[in-house]
Amino acid sequence: MHFTYLHLDYFFHHLTLQHNPRVPGLAALSPSDGRGGIYEDLKWKALLCCELPFAQTLDDGLSEHPPVGQCQLLNATKPESSRNCLDILCWLEGEQTNLICNAKSHRAAAAASLFAVRPQLVVQMNVLSDEANHAAQCAGEDTAMCSISLHGNDATVSLNISISLNGSTALSPKMQVSTHHLRRPEPPVNLHYNVTTEGEVIFRWSDAQPNSDAINFEIRYASNSSLQQWEVVKVKGRSWVSLNELSSGIRYMVQVRCQSHINYWSEWSQPFYFTLGVSYIPAEIFTTPGSEVTIYAVFHNRSWSASKAVWMLNGQVKIPESQYRVINEQVSAVTVTVDEPGFDTLMCCHQWGERFKCIIAYAKIYTEGMFNADFTCQSKNSEVDTMSCEWNKSAWAQVRLLYRQYTSMCETISEMEGSEEAEENMECPSGAGDHRECTLRNLSLFSCYKIWLEVEGGRGKVRSFPVYVAPIDYVKPSPPSVLEATTLPNKILSVSWSRPRLPVYDMQYELRFVALREMANTQWKVIGPLLEPQAEIQLKESCIQFKVEVRCRRLNGSGYWSDWSMSYTSVVYNSKAPEMGPDFWRVIEEHPVRSVTNVTLIIKQPVLAGDPYSCVEGLVIEHRASGRAVWSNETTLAQFHSFQWRKEAHTVTVMSRNALGISTQNRNMTLSHQPKRRCVRSFSAVANSSCVYLSWSLLSDHPVPQSFVIEWLDLKKDPEQDVSLTERLQWVRVQSASRDLSLCRRFYGSEEFTLYPVFVDGEGEPVRYTATRGDPAAYILLLIIAFLSVVLFVTLLMSQNQMRKLMWKDVPNPNKCSWAKGMDFRQINTIENLFPHSEGLTACPLLLVSESICEVEIIEKTHPVTLEHEQDNEVPIYKSGNKTATDSALLADSSEPLSLEASTAAATPETSGQSSVTYSTVLRSDQPSLLRKQQESLSSSSDEGNFSANNSEISGSFPGGLWDLENHVCSDSANPRHSSSYNSVEEFSETSDQDYEASESTGVAKDLYYLEVNEEEEEEDEEEIEETQSEQENNEIVMKVDARPLLEGKKSTAVDSSVSHSIPLYLPQFRTECINPP
Amino acid sequence: MYFSVLLYPCILGMLSLVHAIPVHPDSLKNLVKLQADTIILRIKDHNEKLKLSPKLLIGDPELYPEVPANKPIQGLGSIVETLSTFHKVLQRLPKGHVSQIRNDLFTLLGYLKDRMTSMRCTLKEPANERSLDAFLENNATHHITFGFLALDRLKQFMQKLIVNLDHLKSC
Repeated sequence: MHFTYLHLDYFFHHLTLQHNPRVPGLAALSPSDGRGGIYEDLKWKALLCCELPFAQTLDDGLSEHPPVGQCQLLNATKPESSRNCLDILCWLEGEQTNLICNAKSHRAAAAASLFAVRPQLVVQMNVLSDEANHAAQCAGEDTAMCSISLHGNDATVSLNISISLNGSTALSPKMQVSTHHLRRPEPPVNLHYNVTTEGEVIFRWSDAQPNSDAINFEIRYASNSSLQQWEVVKVKGRSWVSLNELSSGIRYMVQVRCQSHINYWSEWSQPFYFTLGVSYIPAEIFTTPGSEVTIYAVFHNRSWSASKAVWMLNGQVKIPESQYRVINEQVSAVTVTVDEPGFDTLMCCHQWGERFKCIIAYAKIYTEGMFNADFTCQSKNSEVDTMSCEWNKSAWAQVRLLYRQYTSMCETISEMEGSEEAEENMECPSGAGDHRECTLRNLSLFSCYKIWLEVEGGRGKVRSFPVYVAPIDYVKPSPPSVLEATTLPNKILSVSWSRPRLPVYDMQYELRFVALREMANTQWKVIGPLLEPQAEIQLKESCIQFKVEVRCRRLNGSGYWSDWSMSYTSVVYNSKAPEMGPDFWRVIEEHPVRSVTNVTLIIKQPVLAGDPYSCVEGLVIEHRASGRAVWSNETTLAQFHSFQWRKEAHTVTVMSRNALGISTQNRNMTLSHQPKRRCVRSFSAVANSSCVYLSWSLLSDHPVPQSFVIEWLDLKKDPEQDVSLTERLQWVRVQSASRDLSLCRRFYGSEEFTLYPVFVDGEGEPVRYTATRGDPAAYILLLIIAFLSVVLFVTLLMSQNQMRKLMWKDVPNPNKCSWAKGMDFRQINTIENLFPHSEGLTACPLLLVSESICEVEIIEKTHPVTLEHEQDNEVPIYKSGNKTATDSALLADSSEPLSLEASTAAATPETSGQSSVTYSTVLRSDQPSLLRKQQESLSSSSDEGNFSANNSEISGSFPGGLWDLENHVCSDSANPRHSSSYNSVEEFSETSDQDYEASESTGVAKDLYYLEVNEEEEEEDEEEIEETQSEQENNEIVMKVDARPLLEGKKSTAVDSSVSHSIPLYLPQFRTECINPP
Repeated sequence: MYFSVLLYPCILGMLSLVHAIPVHPDSLKNLVKLQADTIILRIKDHNEKLKLSPKLLIGDPELYPEVPANKPIQGLGSIVETLSTFHKVLQRLPKGHVSQIRNDLFTLLGYLKDRMTSMRCTLKEPANERSLDAFLENNATHHITFGFLALDRLKQFMQKLIVNLDHLKSC
C-alpha cells in the first residue's frame, strides 16, 4: 500500500500590526485594494495558491535544504483547484479589538470526497506586530486561525504566510489588512443646533474620529410621539444642514449617521431631543457697564409675531418698546444698556391680551465688574465656632460663596492684597445654588476672612465686592444661664445669672421682668445695661412672683445681643407661714339636666402686702362632708375654685399657704339643704347718683348671725359675652354688728341686692331688694328737653313780637293810597288765609296763624284785565282768562296758589300784554284797616323776559334789588306796562321758566309768605318811608310786608331745598304799586 | 435557657409583624395631606419671592409635557409615578431654596411607596424617562423659569392630591 504523507506547512512569518499607518491615499482605495485581498462585508478576503516542488515521503526524511515553492495571490472568484490554494479571511471580533485571520486549504474541503485516506496538511501561521511587537503564530493541518489584539486602535496589519508540504515550502507575498476598513464608521457626535438671526435652524455635528473619511451623511428627525415616521435628509460633503420645516412646541428626536468611502453606513448617532420655542442670539453675553447689548429672539411659533414681542428684564420690568426692533416676522431684537455690574436676564414674550406668554428660555447678560452683595454676618462662639452670612442678590443668579482666611487683622489686609493669590480659595459647603446664606464652620474667631460671591456660569468674571470680616466682631453669644431670682420681703427682686463661658470678653447684660399675674398682657420692664451678672430691683410690692429673662452682648466693640434666656420665675422669700386664710363666698349652680350642684368659691385675693414675711403662695381648700370625710386641694392663688356638692352638709375651709406652712385663722363655710332660718325683718336700699345705701334690721328673737354677705350682679359685664355668673357676681361681707352699708361704685340702678345672714352652721334665709333708681341720663335728658322747650317758647314769643313790629312798621296804610280811597275791602280773619301755604311754612304758622294780623279782601271783577282798566281806576283782580275768584276762595284751597302761578307760567305770547291787578287789605287789629293794592302784570313777555333773565343774577344775594326797576316804574306812570307789578313767584324764583313750570306742581307756589313792597331802596327808616308815602300819596303807594327776619335763619337750607321742593330761598312777595290814574 | 431560646424568635416574630403592619389609611391620608399642604405653602413662598411680573404666563399646559400637568390621579401607582417625575425634575434645580421642597417631596414619596409595598402594588417605571432627561438637560440652565413652571405644576398636583386622598386606598 502506498501511503503518501503530504505535509503542507503554512507559515505566517511577519504579520505586522502598524497602528494607524493609513496614508492619505487610502481614502481612495476601492474595496478590492486590500493588497491582494478585498474588503467585503466587514471582512478581508484573499486566495493564496502556491506551486510546491515534488513532495518526498516521510520515509525519505526531510532534507536539510527543503525545496522552495512560489505562492501567488489570485482573484478570489477564480480559484485554481490544481494548485494548493488557501482561502484567507480576516475580520474583527469582540469589541472590535481583536483581528482574527483564518487560512483554510481547499484540500481540506475536498478531502472527504476525493480521498479515502485524507492527506495531512500542516499549517503554521505567524502574526507579528512590529510596533507593539505583537506577534501571533499559529499552525494547523489544512486550516489555521490566528488572533491578534489591536488595543482598540486602527492599524494596518502585515500578513505573511508560508506553506510547507512534504518538506517543500512556499512563501506568500506580503499582504496588508487595514483594520479601519473592517469596522463600520463611528456615528457622528455632538449633534446640536444653532439658530441664525434670520430665524434659520441649522443642525451641526462632528465626526467621531478626527481623520474620518465620511463624506455622506443622513439626518433623520421625528416627533417624539411618532417615531415611526422619520423624515430623512441626505447631506453630502458637509456636516451641517438647515431644517426649516420644524414646528415649535413639539419635542423632536433627531439622529445623524455617516457613510465611509467603502460605503459602510455608521449606526445612527445618539438621539438629540429638542423643542423649539424661542431662541436667543446670543443666549449668553458678557458686557461691561454702560455698553449697549443687542439680543435677538427668534419665535419658532409661527403664530407669534415679532411685532407683538414684549421684552422683560429679569422677568419683572417691561423694556420700553422704543428699544425693540423687528428683524422679520419671526425675529425681534432689543438693545439694552446695563449700568451696574452683575447678572441680568432678558425674556422675549408674546403679547396675549393683557398678559405675556413666555417660555422657559431666557438670555443671560453678565456685566463685568463687582456688585454689592450686602453681606450680613453673625458668628457664634461655642464648641465649634461658626459664622452665618446672608446676602442679597438677583434671584436669577446662581452664586458660589467663596472665602479666604487671613492670619492678620482685617485692617491690614488691604496692604497684603495681591500677594496671596497663590492661596487657595475655599467655598461654602453648600456649593453653588440660589442660596442667600451660608454657614461657615470651624472658623477662627480672631482671623480675618475675605468673603465674596461669584455668579455661577459667569466664568468667574462677575463677582461681588469682597467683605473683610473678623468673626469676633459679629458674635451673637449664647444667652446667660443658671438664672435665679428671689422676691425679698424688703420689696426687692434679687436676680443673678451666669454668663456664657465663650466668648471670653467682657459682657453687658439686659434684664427684663414681668409680674406673673400680669402675664396675660405681658408688658416687660427692661433694665440695663448691667455690667455684673446680678441685679437688685426695687419693687412697689412684696410677695409678688416675677418672670425674669436676661440677655448679653459684648461690652466694648460690636456684636449682637444674645437671645433672651429661658424664663425663670422668682421665688418669694418667706420667714413664716401665713396667718389668715382668705375670705370667700360661693355661687351655687344646679345643672338642670345632670341634677348636679356645682359650687364655685369666689376667693378674695389675700392681701399680699400684709405681712411681707409670710406671703401667700397658694391656697389649700379643705372639704369636710357630713360623713366625716375630709379631703383637701392645693391650688395656686386662684380666684375661683369649683367642686360638686352632693346636697349634704358640707363644710369648706380655705387656707393660705406658702413654703413654710398653712394659715391657722381660716374662714369656714357650711353648705346645707336644711330649711333656712329667717332672721331679717327688713331690708331696703336707697340709691343716689353714685352710691347705694343698704340697711336692714333683724328679728328680735333670733340669734345674731356671724356675719352678713350682700351680693349683687355686676350689670356692666354682659352675660352674652360669655362672662360667667361667677365673674359677674359681686359680694361684700359685713360684720354682724352692722345694720347698714353704703356701697359707692358704679351702679346701673336696677341691681338686685341679696342679703345673706351667715351663721356658724350655715346660711340664713336671704332677703332681696331691688334698688330701682331712675337713670340719671334720662333725668338729664328730660331736663334738657324742658329747658329747650322754655327757650323755644320764649324765642317764639319774642319773634312774634318782632314780627308784629316789623309788619306794622313796614306796611303802609293802604287807605292812604289814592287808588284805595273809597274802596271796599272785605276783611279776612287770619293771615293764613292771606298766605294759604301753611304746609310749606313750617315756622310761620306758629307765629302768624294764631293771631289775625291782617285781612285781605279781593274784589272780583268780571271783565278781562286790561291796562285800560287800570287806567280807569277800576280795581283789577287777579284773573286767569275769564275766570276770577276771590282771594279768600283761592286761598282756602291749598292748590289755588298753584293756579296763581300756573296762570302766570302759562302766560303765553297770546296772553302777553294782559295784566291782572290784585287788591288786598292788610289789617291790624288795633288800627283801621290798611288797604293794599297789588297790581300784577301777568305774562308780560317783556317783563317776564327781563326777570327771568335777571333772577339768576339777583336772586339770593340781593332780593330787594329787584325793586329798583319798579321804583322808577312806579314813578313813570306814563307807562302802564311798567307800572304793573310782577308776579311774585316769578320775581323770586331761582329757576328758569322751564324749571319753574316743572316745579310749580310740586308746591313752589305754596311758599308765599314773604311780603315786601318797596317804595324806595331805603327801607330801614320807617319815618322816611312814611314821609315818602305822604309825599307820594297822590302818585303812588308802595306797601311792604317784610317777614324777612323770620326767613333769614332758613336761608342756608333754602338754597338746597330749591331742588328738593321745600322752602325756596327766595320767596314770593306780594307787592302793590300804585298806578296813577291818567 | 430554653426559655430564652424560645423568647428570641418570638420577639423577632413580633418585630417583623410590627414592621409589616401597614400604616392605617386614615393616618396616611393625614400625613399626605399635611405634607402636601406644606409643599404647597413652600411653593407659594418660593414663587412669590421671585417677584416675577404677574403678567407673565410661563409655559402653556400643553407645552413641556415632560413635566406633568393636569395628570389624572388613578391610584397610588399614578401618584407615585407623577411624584417621581417631579422629584427628578427638582433634583435638577440648583441647591438652595428648592432643596427643602425636594426633601418634602421625597418624604411624601417615601410614604406612598411604603404604602404601595404594603398593598403589594406594582411600582411602575416612569415613562419617557429618556425624553425627560433630555428635557432637563436642555432647560435646567434656565433654572428660574424652569423651576417656576415645575413648582407651579407640582402645586397643582398637590392640590389635586389633597382632594383625591381616597385614591390612596387603591393601587
